[in-house]
Amino acid sequence: MAALPRRIIKETQRLMQEPVPGISAVPDDSNARYFHVIVTGPEDSPFEGGLFKLELFLPEDYPMSAPKVRFITKIYHPNIDRLGRICLDILKDKWSPALQIRTVLLSIQALLSAPNPDDPLANDVAELWKVNESEAIRNAKEWTRKYAMDN
Amino acid sequence: MSQNERVQEELEALEAILMDDISIIYNDQGCAELVKSTIFPSTANEVEKQYVCVTLEVQLPENYPDCKPLIKLKSPRGLDDSTVDHLYREIDKKCEEYIGQAVIYELIELIRENLTESNLPTCQCAVCLYGFSEGDCFTKTQCFHYFHNYCLAKHLIVTEKHYHEEQEKLPAWKRSTEGFQATCPVCREPISCDVHDLRSSLPPKELENAQKFELTHELKLLQENMQKLFSYQKSKGGIIDIEAEENKLLLITNSSDDPSDENSDDPGPSIPTNITEGSLENGLLKNQRCFNRFTNNR
Ligand SMILES: [Zn+2]
Ligand SMILES: [Zn+2]
Repeated sequence: MAALPRRIIKETQRLMQEPVPGISAVPDDSNARYFHVIVTGPEDSPFEGGLFKLELFLPEDYPMSAPKVRFITKIYHPNIDRLGRICLDILKDKWSPALQIRTVLLSIQALLSAPNPDDPLANDVAELWKVNESEAIRNAKEWTRKYAMDN
Repeated sequence: MSQNERVQEELEALEAILMDDISIIYNDQGCAELVKSTIFPSTANEVEKQYVCVTLEVQLPENYPDCKPLIKLKSPRGLDDSTVDHLYREIDKKCEEYIGQAVIYELIELIRENLTESNLPTCQCAVCLYGFSEGDCFTKTQCFHYFHNYCLAKHLIVTEKHYHEEQEKLPAWKRSTEGFQATCPVCREPISCDVHDLRSSLPPKELENAQKFELTHELKLLQENMQKLFSYQKSKGGIIDIEAEENKLLLITNSSDDPSDENSDDPGPSIPTNITEGSLENGLLKNQRCFNRFTNNR
């Protein structure tokens, strides 16, 4: 593997030294471009109390290209599909090299606080979120309790 | 010449040279007490290229210039502590050397030379996250953001390439007629830069000399905790099974009128059937092999 770009090293060090509340990101043993991530469900959201595992991969031309991120823990959310893929503009056309791992994870945490059913990736979840929000929130809480808890 | 006359002569000369850039404060007896001047690096009057400055305050004791004046450096901008300390030492040397002679103009020149040498923004380049060192080529954008030329060039080349790739995908009538507009990585304001000029710059120095990555004990512990959580959630069926979900996805796409492939009580989301490769750009399908490798060897 080619040497790890200094920017990635610097971001990793900063993530360790000044962690973002509610978020931890740790590089993998065998590939420092692959991060194991935990995002805690934000307070006052249906995901509160959940610990959501994500994986984040920095592609070869990072930071010129966005990191690839997906949820590993099941989550009931209109902008996250069954494969854990996330519908978030900064991961696509709104990516900028001035964004960082921490800003990406903060945006994902914010997406948990503010689901956006008008920009769905998981159609049936988004549909329910629109027509029957209270049931959708109940489902989201149920999934959080069932799948995203620590022992 | 009396003492006061010598000081008076020095101050008149200073006022003649520096004009509004100097202010002199007199005491009740009409003797000059304090001389103040804010000093900038010499940048051939290009104010937008002045990234640092400092205010020099010279207090004149009664028997100046036969003793050293008292020096204070105030409101340093863009200078770190070690640069300021270094300046104080240089100033003291100069004052020592000039006992008995007019020294203020010498001090101003000394400081200006030093500022010109350290005339670099102290912020970081948002692209590489490293600072600006002497000799680094960098650009200040119209929106007041600083980037190494090397880093900005990379950004401009990649975004322009992406722009053209996206345009290619569109039908002719949908393509933009305006052409590519470069934007600032930090604030997305439009910027105009000459990529060919920028790309010839060398990589930033700090970037070249930065330390290597090490897996610390702390990191190992964090990794272990992550692993524990993963195992626990897996035992509860909380981990997304990519292969199973992908098979479901195939089923859904193949028989769009048969939603009954749910094999659990999950009210869960399914992949919309009309999803396009483009809209999955952020998804990890392209990297799936790599991810499966990671998720499988746990
Ligand atoms: Zn840079
Ligand atoms: Zn800007």
